[in-house]
Amino acid sequence: MRSALLLLSLVFVSLSSSLLADGIVIDKIYHPYVQPLEQELEIRVLQQNNQSGIADNTRLYRLAYGRSLSDRLFIEAYLVGQGSSSENLDLQSIEMEIKWQLTEQGEYWADWGVLAELSKGIGNNIYEASIGLIAEKEFGHWSATTNFVIEQEWGSGIDDELESVFSLQARYRYSQTLEPGIEFYAGQNSIGVGPVLMGQAKLAGPKKLKWEAGVILGLDSKSPDTSVRLLFEYEF
Amino acid sequence: MNRLIINRILFYFGLLLAIALSSISQAAPIIKIEIKDHLFYPSEFSVPANTKIKLLIINNDPTPEEFESYELNREKVIIGNSKAVIFIGPLSPGTYPFFGEFYPKTAQGKILVN
Repeated sequence: MRSALLLLSLVFVSLSSSLLADGIVIDKIYHPYVQPLEQELEIRVLQQNNQSGIADNTRLYRLAYGRSLSDRLFIEAYLVGQGSSSENLDLQSIEMEIKWQLTEQGEYWADWGVLAELSKGIGNNIYEASIGLIAEKEFGHWSATTNFVIEQEWGSGIDDELESVFSLQARYRYSQTLEPGIEFYAGQNSIGVGPVLMGQAKLAGPKKLKWEAGVILGLDSKSPDTSVRLLFEYEF
Repeated sequence: MNRLIINRILFYFGLLLAIALSSISQAAPIIKIEIKDHLFYPSEFSVPANTKIKLLIINNDPTPEEFESYELNREKVIIGNSKAVIFIGPLSPGTYPFFGEFYPKTAQGKILVN
């Protein structure tokens, strides 16, 4: 496994010179951990404005159900909807995602996981497959998480292209109900940074309600000026 | 400029990953904790400061339990009649409480780091 990861890291280095393609890059930042017996319902909302090539006030909605398959594997299915100032909300795609926890938390210098996803457009012939590496490192009360994802799009409704997205989250574990942090995202036509707040409320037994809210500000003229992201996750 | 920044980030991320993977995890002292009748045994124990510790948790109950500690930044579900490993530390001196999320009224404990 170590050799495979080492090879992946070299691939990432080589991809640093590849072209990045269009797309919305701001999303949830994944952590590498999986719990057995866990199920979750999730809703994510992203609204962004003023990005070249993308309709103004684009809103992206994700509804998901996920469950763990073992103590290392977690699978999740999504319905993705999109709307904007000029377009009504419409179902855009369906997605399947699997997360693989590679190492035990705290076992090595950092904790590692892999994320793979396959999506299919609704009413068109557009496909997208992606694979990403998740890393998390604890520094006292701080936790730093990085996601690096490579995506390949293909189909008769789109030009085949390779995209990559890098995201970083630094989170301060102030309390279980409130954790402030900062996030950074980089992909083609979008580079941004901004504050986030996260937390969770414990419900009966193992049930939890997790939430995240962030405002990401574009760092150049091609990026959306402002992206607002919200996430609610019910674990049971 | 945009692409230059991204290229640099990706390069350093890959380099960092390669360095991290070349380090080998050091053998950590092992402490065994058993869960029985929704209680932790031992429920309190001491570990040295600034040392990585491997907790081997054996759940003797037929029901699952979740070892949870916000102070340790750990949560781990242990299926009934099975075992799991949790790595903690290196920790600063202090007291770190933990509990079983499925049976929090009974399954409680603390780790004394000194």
